[in-house]
Amino acid sequence: MNQLLAAALLLIVGAGLALLPLKNTWRAACGIVSQSVATVLTWVAVVPVLAGGKEPYVELPWGYPIGALHFRLDALGAFFLSWSLPMTLLGAVYAVGYLRKYFDGSRHVGVHFALLNMISLSFLMVYTGEHAVTFLMGWEIAALSAWLLVIWDYTSQKVRFAGFNYLVSTHIGLIFLVAAFMILYTQTQSWYLDDFGDWMSAHPGTIRNTVFLLLLTSFGLKSAFFPFHSWLPRAHAAAPANVSALMSGVIHKAGLFALLHFLYIQGRPDAWMGWALIAFSVTSAVIGGLYTVGQRDLKRLLGYSSTENVGIAGIGFGIGTLGLAWDVPGLVAIGFAGGLLHILNHAFFKCQLFYAAGCVYQAKHGVDIERLGGLAKLMPITALSFLVGGIAISALPPFNGFASEFLIYSGLFTGETISVWAKLLLAGVAMLLAFVGAVSALSITRAYGVIFMGNSRDDTLPAGHEPSAWMLVPLLIHTAGTVVLGLLPVLGLVLVTAPTQLFLHAVPDAITAEAMLGVQQVLSRVSVVSACVAALIVLAWAAVWLVRRALRHPAAAAGPTWGCGYTAGSARVQYTASSFSKDFSQHYKGVMVLLNRKKAPTGYFPDDAYVITDCVDAVERRLYNVIGHGDDSATLISKLMHEDDPRIAFALGLAAVVVIAALVVLAEGALP
Amino acid sequence: MTITTLWGLTLAHLTLVLVMPILLVGVINRTKSWWAARKGPGLFQSFYDLRRLLGKRPVVSHTATPLFRLGAYLVLVCALIAMAFVPLLGQFAPLSFAHDFVAVAYTLGLARIVLMLSAMDVGSPFEGMGAAREAKFGAFAEPALFLLLGTVGAATGLSSFADMLGHLHHTFYYAWIVLPLAGALLILLQTEAARVPVDDPLTHLELTMIHEVMILDHSGPELAAMQYAAGLKMTLYAGLIATLLNPFDPLAAPLAATAVSVGLMLTVAVVVGCFESLMARLPMHQVSRYVWLAGWLAAAAALTVGVLGGGL
Repeated sequence: MNQLLAAALLLIVGAGLALLPLKNTWRAACGIVSQSVATVLTWVAVVPVLAGGKEPYVELPWGYPIGALHFRLDALGAFFLSWSLPMTLLGAVYAVGYLRKYFDGSRHVGVHFALLNMISLSFLMVYTGEHAVTFLMGWEIAALSAWLLVIWDYTSQKVRFAGFNYLVSTHIGLIFLVAAFMILYTQTQSWYLDDFGDWMSAHPGTIRNTVFLLLLTSFGLKSAFFPFHSWLPRAHAAAPANVSALMSGVIHKAGLFALLHFLYIQGRPDAWMGWALIAFSVTSAVIGGLYTVGQRDLKRLLGYSSTENVGIAGIGFGIGTLGLAWDVPGLVAIGFAGGLLHILNHAFFKCQLFYAAGCVYQAKHGVDIERLGGLAKLMPITALSFLVGGIAISALPPFNGFASEFLIYSGLFTGETISVWAKLLLAGVAMLLAFVGAVSALSITRAYGVIFMGNSRDDTLPAGHEPSAWMLVPLLIHTAGTVVLGLLPVLGLVLVTAPTQLFLHAVPDAITAEAMLGVQQVLSRVSVVSACVAALIVLAWAAVWLVRRALRHPAAAAGPTWGCGYTAGSARVQYTASSFSKDFSQHYKGVMVLLNRKKAPTGYFPDDAYVITDCVDAVERRLYNVIGHGDDSATLISKLMHEDDPRIAFALGLAAVVVIAALVVLAEGALP
Repeated sequence: MTITTLWGLTLAHLTLVLVMPILLVGVINRTKSWWAARKGPGLFQSFYDLRRLLGKRPVVSHTATPLFRLGAYLVLVCALIAMAFVPLLGQFAPLSFAHDFVAVAYTLGLARIVLMLSAMDVGSPFEGMGAAREAKFGAFAEPALFLLLGTVGAATGLSSFADMLGHLHHTFYYAWIVLPLAGALLILLQTEAARVPVDDPLTHLELTMIHEVMILDHSGPELAAMQYAAGLKMTLYAGLIATLLNPFDPLAAPLAATAVSVGLMLTVAVVVGCFESLMARLPMHQVSRYVWLAGWLAAAAALTVGVLGGGL
């Protein structure tokens, strides 16, 4: 535990130091060095816990009314810390390349690195804090730092709006969290999360159900589950690429951590909680997936796919919760292991995709899909990384997304003895998950096909080029992780085993080793399939190459693309992203609001004509509509009431005095 | 069950995987020519076509990236890998493990995404259209397959592809759900193998094509790989239908099971041929509804299993 305290102190000191030097290079160096050392220290503390060792615990004395601060590093926290800090460090390294042009200017880059340090600090606080106050403080530090990181480009009105949107949303989530904590405090008279847990496991019933729903809402907002996601695409599109990557892949996983933490301490859940979690998650997955189809902005697209992927992980947790409620250890193991592994995998490929998007942004000064094209030839490494990440995010073999989704599917098609209707319901969920997979394959084809393939659609943009090594290295490390965890998902299982066992211990007479063996078997089969797919593909390519050489086949002739008799000269006639998604999205008009602005060609010699399609967020649109209606009706009521009449003000004041007096009398000293 | 039987069945499976993609296309074409009172091409005509393509020098667009040529072989390899898990002869597949059907569907998913990307790779105004349609109908077909398999899994209590479909006829649900399941699989075959009424392999208008428009720019050996992979997909679904209907257990009566399976697969080809002869392909906006029908049939089977097995 001392290592973690040292890491926390070091991060604070590093953040301070990053602000001091005169040169931006030194400021960045202070941030990155302190982060690296803190990461190593954290690993030293985390590895023994993940290996099944004792959970370190520390109490820091603190003044009234907070009381002693407790920190405990349990396996769940250790799992989250094990990758959160290194990935934040990679994000900081990426920032050096991404913010390059500011380094020589007057802009103080140190702030950015200091804030990244604060993000790491918030991980330490949230993932180990046992005291409600430190937990909330960590939560708040993460929210505020993320907000400040998002508005890096604060001179743009759009970016500021996205930032405030995020800030407001995350605080609405905080209100739900505080409400839940207040309920728990009134029941336990304690600020410690384990006391909350003890009380919850002893008192299943209405209050626990209310707390569960409040927490689910709050953590859902943090992790951007549908319908609490509307802040996310804006924030992700506005932030610098490394911040979007960290927010999507790492920071917002805190919501899932907290959900898991409470699931684990609250004792045996009811079956409805599992079903509720599955329903909530599958809705997120489907709708998040659908939204990725319509986006023009690559970073918005990737943002929506976060909503989709937290939903997929949530399905795993729902299965695990059902297993806890029904006392089926097999389901507990496969559900929680699948969900946790998906979180890890998502962190790998989502950061990777955002980093690739950042490379595109830096080369082309924008990520509007419709204006790009043909980048694979100019930026082959970025393109390949994006493709690998895209295949992983569509859960296709041989990359890591396939492994975790396979585990979740194994849970959904479970062979355990549960009722026929439950099996069929879970098969229905599997059907929706298959739909989500196919939809993300669609949007990845669309994004990769339009951005990286074909020819450039807009010659006014600068020509693309590979980014600097500062950006390529984090990108390639993530790519390597995606590939390795795909071929050897058992490596991921090593990280996931200890936290899954926490949940298994809650099942009476579960044989932990046996249940985990089941998970391991599934993953080793996945490993074989992925390795076979990868090896056979490479072998086939090698064979084709050898045969061509042996038979002295002439090289392929080059020609123009088939043009059906008219090989048009303009690159603008290439199939566009809007056309690609229109065919599909017209079936989902209720969810995907497509706004068309167009000017049709007129006359015999039309000069100017265009169609612009935008996919706007239905939830946000609806929200503003409701607010608009609310404004109208408030105006109407105030008109009808003659609010400016002083008699009404007097009457209301009198009523308020009477109510307060009545409360004081009726409470009879019950108030402390 | 002896080791010889297993080897024999594996050999039979392999032979079917290699021959059926050609033979099924031959039978469909012969059926169509029979309806049109023509003599029609030989049963192995598509083999000669593929052989001819293998000898040709390909033409590749200036715009294409290396993925364009490599992708064709990837699609073929993925289809072949998938075939190793798919039961063709009844309750038997050369490789099988719990929930292997997820691996099959996702390996084919990898083939699909690469096929679509190859179409986008040449920067054509047409080929993206086919890719968009493939993506859309794939997104409608895959859930139907998963619901169907989940239903069969719930009915049999088994978990591997071959066990589930091959064992279903021993359960009492069989008589109730066999027709919707076979219907759903037939629709999935027509969707995934791009046959009428979903897609017309003989059409000459880019605006109405799905599969053919994606491979417009492929030529020579790559085109052969793509076409053979498409044949494999059809074999896959024909094999699933044959397994569903096959009353014999291949491990107990290998010869009868193999013979019946081959007969059933050829019958499926005849049925597909009859569809192609007797109806035109549907207008594009009605195709989605036709594909959804597979999902509805699977849902009907799921409800039946629920009512029979779990009560209301």
